[in-house]
Amino acid sequence: MIERLLTIDRRVIFLFVFIGVTIPLLSEFRLPVRPTEHVTAIYDKIELLAQQKDAVVLLSFSYGASTEPEMQPMAMALLRHLFSRNVKVVAISLFPEAPGLAQQALETTAEEFDKKYGDDYAFMPYKPGTYSVIINMGQKFLDAFPKDNWGTQTNEIPLTSNITNLTDFDFVLDLAAGDSIEFWWLPFGQEKYNLDFAAGCTAVMAPDLYPFLQSGQMVGLIGGLVGAAEYEILINHPAGASAGMSAQSVTHVIIIIFILLGNAVYLTTRYKERNSRK
Amino acid sequence: MLFLTRTLPVLMAFAFGIVGIAIFYIPHTGAQDVERELSLWLRIVSAFAYFLGLFSLLSLHWDKIRQRVAGWGYNLVALTSFGIMFLFVIHNDGVGPFAAQAKEGAYQWMFKYVHVPCSATMFSMLAFFIASAAYRTFRARSADAAILLVAALTLMLGRVPIGAAISETIPSLAEWLMEVPNLAAKRGILLGVSLGAIATSLRIIFGIERSYVGGGDE
Repeated sequence: MIERLLTIDRRVIFLFVFIGVTIPLLSEFRLPVRPTEHVTAIYDKIELLAQQKDAVVLLSFSYGASTEPEMQPMAMALLRHLFSRNVKVVAISLFPEAPGLAQQALETTAEEFDKKYGDDYAFMPYKPGTYSVIINMGQKFLDAFPKDNWGTQTNEIPLTSNITNLTDFDFVLDLAAGDSIEFWWLPFGQEKYNLDFAAGCTAVMAPDLYPFLQSGQMVGLIGGLVGAAEYEILINHPAGASAGMSAQSVTHVIIIIFILLGNAVYLTTRYKERNSRK
Repeated sequence: MLFLTRTLPVLMAFAFGIVGIAIFYIPHTGAQDVERELSLWLRIVSAFAYFLGLFSLLSLHWDKIRQRVAGWGYNLVALTSFGIMFLFVIHNDGVGPFAAQAKEGAYQWMFKYVHVPCSATMFSMLAFFIASAAYRTFRARSADAAILLVAALTLMLGRVPIGAAISETIPSLAEWLMEVPNLAAKRGILLGVSLGAIATSLRIIFGIERSYVGGGDE
């Protein structure tokens, strides 16, 4: 009887996960989210920049549509913080799918804080070339982006007219769902030009980046939806990520229960087999 | 012909490899100008990779449709979707393909309401498969597997708010796992991979590894 549990139909597991995701999302069930050290470090850095006159942040969108549910709340939370503190933002895209997502995030948050395009933020188009675009920006920003996403000359936009290269940015943030942090920005941007650099990434990528936090190459790290939720709490604007936390918590618990159940059944079966051999 | 197909690429790899490494460490204006020029070339070469990818994608699907292989209907859907999106990009909300990207229009609508939800759904389905796979395969078969299991369960609980709600120790333990054992392992792997990449690069630069010109490394 108990062995049958080992061959349980996977659709049963799917059903439990489905319930675990939908019920918390539909209900008002909320769990308290506490910001962690690496997320708070980015928040503190932006707070520090806000005290500086005309601080400019480079926000690199390096993710695509598949990771939008995890990455977009992060981008929105960061932009809300930057705009609320009157820090200027230059957004770029290093992934072909990123411009559409960056445009949504920029337009939504700029409208919320009544920010003007060209003065408070600018939006550069996607450029192929991965790390060579970063090297290009390090040499001359205009080489990499002669025009913005809407075809205006970059040197005619008030915000970008004075930017010559990467070192003119007070802080660089990369929101990534690929290898742009580890293999593009850190060696060819942060290390080469000694930039103040931080990143946001998908949850599965976060463990790979801990060595760079310890070495001081990264100011902070926002990892996955939970990182985005922590940032939303820091800026006192709970939104999509915070709402997703309850669903994620319940789903994790369901998966843990299934793993424990699977192990309990496995160990019981093994114990029985050993006893029968004796 | 042998010079053009075999010797010249190897010589070019040597010259650009040495120059590429050297200019990274030389802050002189001349070296920086060379780096600037090379990075522009690199971007142009990268752009051509898209044409290659596009050709590969289209020919793969077209061949499957032509040969009526099992599930060719999906290939047809892929090609049709590509065609529709391509037409919308060319149309560019009425301003044409040579103008800057339009802020609104059919392409943006398709991206926002079709492409993003479909891609996100595909990625989100991983949660279901991971749950099923974890139930079937994550077993404490040995002491090592048991340690891995305990670490995984601690992280799964510690990285979500419910972990702290159960006990304050769980998030602290999860953070310790990330900051100490994970960091040490990742750093080791990273150093190993980097040394391997350096060794492979040197083999290519000095012409020891020539498989990229075809015919294996002779």
